[in-house]
Amino acid sequence: MVTDLPSNAEPKMRARDVSVFYGDKKAVDSVSIDIQTEYVTAFIGPSGCGKSTFLRAFNRMNDTIGSARVEGCIELDGEDIYKSGMDVVQLRARVGMVFQKPNPFPKSIYENVAYGPRIHGFAEGKADLDAVVERSLRRAGLWDEVKDRLTDSGTALSGGQQQRLCIARAIAVEPEVILMDEPASALDPIATAKIEELIDELRGRYAIIIVTHSMQQAARVSQRTAFFHLGHLVEYGETSQIFTMPREERTKDYITGRYG
Amino acid sequence: MAEHTVKAFDEDITRLRGLIAEMGGLAELAIQEALEALVTGDEELGQQVVERDKRLDRLEAEVDAMAVRLLALRAPMADDLREIIAALKIAGVVERIGDYSKNIAKRVGRIEGRSRFEPLTLLPAMGELAAEMVHDVLTAYAARDPLMAREVIERDAKVDAFYDSVFRNLVSHMVENPATISSAAQLLFVARNLERIGDHATNVAEMVHFAALGTYPTDIER
Repeated sequence: MVTDLPSNAEPKMRARDVSVFYGDKKAVDSVSIDIQTEYVTAFIGPSGCGKSTFLRAFNRMNDTIGSARVEGCIELDGEDIYKSGMDVVQLRARVGMVFQKPNPFPKSIYENVAYGPRIHGFAEGKADLDAVVERSLRRAGLWDEVKDRLTDSGTALSGGQQQRLCIARAIAVEPEVILMDEPASALDPIATAKIEELIDELRGRYAIIIVTHSMQQAARVSQRTAFFHLGHLVEYGETSQIFTMPREERTKDYITGRYG
Repeated sequence: MAEHTVKAFDEDITRLRGLIAEMGGLAELAIQEALEALVTGDEELGQQVVERDKRLDRLEAEVDAMAVRLLALRAPMADDLREIIAALKIAGVVERIGDYSKNIAKRVGRIEGRSRFEPLTLLPAMGELAAEMVHDVLTAYAARDPLMAREVIERDAKVDAFYDSVFRNLVSHMVENPATISSAAQLLFVARNLERIGDHATNVAEMVHFAALGTYPTDIER
């Protein structure tokens, strides 16, 4: 693997020799990577390259798939997230996730955001919870559009609004890392632009990893890009370098549309 | 180089490279004919050079339009992106080389008493060097060969040395023959134009290097 990054700052998350299996099939092969806070890291690569599977290893989403098995080590602030006795619910509050298809709960807009802080005990009393909901919706750039109809169902919003609601829901529990799996692929260009703008605003506060099939999107929103192919991490570097001067032939062929 | 999944993109890039090659051929011919017209006093040939420069201008506009279209529609990355940026810049530089040749051609009728000018025997050799640089740098472009581009850059020093020599020669000529100052001054401009052509061939070489490797030739020495 080729990497060309300064490694001065202590990484927020650190993966070492991580392999993920589905039964006998190795979907991710011995990948090591450091994820820094205040950076957006994009995972790119063709379908089936293992990028989404690898992303899900960062908050143990693969645990929900019976045949999936993870080897190697992933640390959050130096703590192994796969160690026995790890509180996975707590982990997923610290490492939040936004999915490809907006998936708000079939509840009110307010409840969608308030649910996490309430069960994790982040808010005491109604006033406190109101403040968390407003702050989260503001950070997600949705407050002005929904403040007069917080009791409406979350599923009644447009696709782009639903996705920002899901982002508000993820950040309501004060995560440290946000994983995004193709967060804008089901949205129109304007809604996509709003999500990208939001990602850029959120960057200062969290470590963000985004999986995307859109090379332009990776180039627009990320500072670092990792290219995966057949389960391997081929190249990891500054986004500007990856898209103007990739070092690896396979990276170049993929981003210039010569792959396959 | 492997083909793009979208074949039309390969065709577009080939067409763009063809336009640059065509511009290079025209620019090289313009240098040679401008010098020939100057030495022989063939004003008609000089006029041809001036006229033909319009084709270079049109080709440059065509390259600009095509590059803008490719950037907008294909959103190129990596070496494709560098290729198109380089084509855009090279077209501008080659068009300038054409302008210098045109400028030389315009001076054909302004030289009096050709046989008395020793510098007139130096200029064709200088022009040949400059034309060769233009020819070779476009060969390097066609072959995407950064080493050949570096070799062209090294040759610019010879053109500069020629310029110094012609300059000194002309100045002493003017001191000794004040009556020829206006003709000699014309030749000074010609020498200056050829020297600039060498510089511009060097710029093209730098872009060839950039398109191939993503770095400038000077980066390696740093």
